[in-house]
Amino acid sequence: MKLGSDDVRAIAAEARLSLTDTELAGAVRYINNFLDMVDRFKELDLKNVEPFCFAETNVCPLREDLPAAFTRSEEILADRADGTGAFFKVPRIMEE
Amino acid sequence: MMELYELGVREIVEGIREKRFSALEVFDECLGRALACEGKVSALITATADTGRAHARQIDGYVAKGEPLGPLAGVPVILKDNICTHGIRTTAGSRILGRWAPPYSATVWDLLSSAGAVLLGKSNMDEFAMGNTCGTSAFGPTANPWDVSRVPGGSSGGSAASVAAGYVPFALGSDTGGSIRQPASYCGIFGLKPTYGLVSRYGLIAYGSSLDQIGPFTRSVEDMELIMHVLARHDPKDSTSVDKSEIDFTRRESKGEKPLKGKRVALVKEFQDFTLDPPIADAIKRLIRIFEEMGAEIAQVSLPTVARYAVACYYAIAASEAHTNLARFDGVRYGYTVTTAAGLRDMFEEVRSKGFGAEVKSRIIAGTCLTEPVRSEEYYVAATRVRTLIAEEFRKAFENVDCILQPVTPSLPGKIGESDEDAMKGYESDLYTLPVNMAGLPGFSFCTGYSDSGLPVGLQLVGPRWSDKNLLNMGFELEKVLGAPKIARGGN
Repeated sequence: MKLGSDDVRAIAAEARLSLTDTELAGAVRYINNFLDMVDRFKELDLKNVEPFCFAETNVCPLREDLPAAFTRSEEILADRADGTGAFFKVPRIMEE
Repeated sequence: MMELYELGVREIVEGIREKRFSALEVFDECLGRALACEGKVSALITATADTGRAHARQIDGYVAKGEPLGPLAGVPVILKDNICTHGIRTTAGSRILGRWAPPYSATVWDLLSSAGAVLLGKSNMDEFAMGNTCGTSAFGPTANPWDVSRVPGGSSGGSAASVAAGYVPFALGSDTGGSIRQPASYCGIFGLKPTYGLVSRYGLIAYGSSLDQIGPFTRSVEDMELIMHVLARHDPKDSTSVDKSEIDFTRRESKGEKPLKGKRVALVKEFQDFTLDPPIADAIKRLIRIFEEMGAEIAQVSLPTVARYAVACYYAIAASEAHTNLARFDGVRYGYTVTTAAGLRDMFEEVRSKGFGAEVKSRIIAGTCLTEPVRSEEYYVAATRVRTLIAEEFRKAFENVDCILQPVTPSLPGKIGESDEDAMKGYESDLYTLPVNMAGLPGFSFCTGYSDSGLPVGLQLVGPRWSDKNLLNMGFELEKVLGAPKIARGGN
């Protein structure tokens, strides 16, 4: 099923992207071509096929649960958009 | 007499140890070469002249005092700008990270730096590694140093162009669907996409985490072995890193006149129906003859699922992983931000809409679409199952052959600014590279020679998982016959 402008605008909003009208027209074309491409999977019988996993990463590697000091907190805080002390300040979270 | 910038890794290391020249002289000559070409090539986003010169002086101090030197002491290197370098701007080719200096370094940079390599700069790339021309960078395109009207390939185009033009003897890139092998081929040098898990991804700005792999560009196979000897280390900070310390990249057995006797080199049956530019088709025929003369047997493997489904499967998985990985860029903690947003959601939308370029936004939207609950089973989960079929097809093929010889791209590099109206057509040109990432295999891209128009013509060898050293051993024998890659004019 082809997706229309409203569908694509809603998907973009989920990804926290707002599109201009020109971008939206391009995105509708792109996503429908993309879906045409991946529709090819329907030719295959995948019922008994497991999702992919590298053999070596089948087992979760574990290491000792030891605390390690991170000494560069100041550098991380220096990158923040806004804030004071050890806090990040963000705009209003609750919608009006 | 050779200029210092023309030397390879081993020659630089030996020359500095033997005090024939200093690390600072090498660095300054390489920097001079870079500056002479940058006006036309634009391979760098950031040049690190001051920190690099300071590091080179430090190496020279060790030499003067007779202190122990690392295996890459004094060798200049360029890193793709998605590899984090503590305190040095790392942009991933994006406006959203345009001024970001990471508070930590990638493991690969820690390893190279500890081995004595000296950073000359951070290289241009397609934004977040999404592209195959180096043309989606927010910092403008890089040019091919063999013909500056043409693309260098991508996404690691800046790294490949800088090694080809003689800025440095080696550089690092990352390969998610061909982003090392394709620019290596377009720029006429060697590029290795290692087996997934062999080189740590810690500190690589992620695009598709199950596909991404860091690897080197060099102008000789021996240099590539020296670099892999440093990089192939287990890293507890990367949960997908595998301990393969038994692989010794520095040991090579000499095999005499028929060095590849008993090796089985395969062509892919289904690929033979696809059209190739004549110089690439001719290179395959020539390589078949060379392999036979070296004692190898030419075989055939059939990869029908790869040929028909790999492109769709790759883009479904890459876009889905990209949409998750790029969700972290929100303007709150680091990177580009805005101060005028009325609420948090407005801030996220404004930062991301202004910070990301068109190709990145398209792939994020595609990934969001494919992983929505209503479509996930039909597309994303289906793609992960198709990926199993693809990996299994390769596994069976490698039961009977040692490696596959195949093109890297169907055509030689195109002109800068040319692009397909339909992005999916551009994606199809990645058919020869991206299946390798789907199955986590190693792929080695090498220069076979030059076309009548003077452009390099590359091919690749693909092997089973953990056969990286075998591929380089074969590459070493091929280099003896084909000759080492030449340094490009770089627009001069």
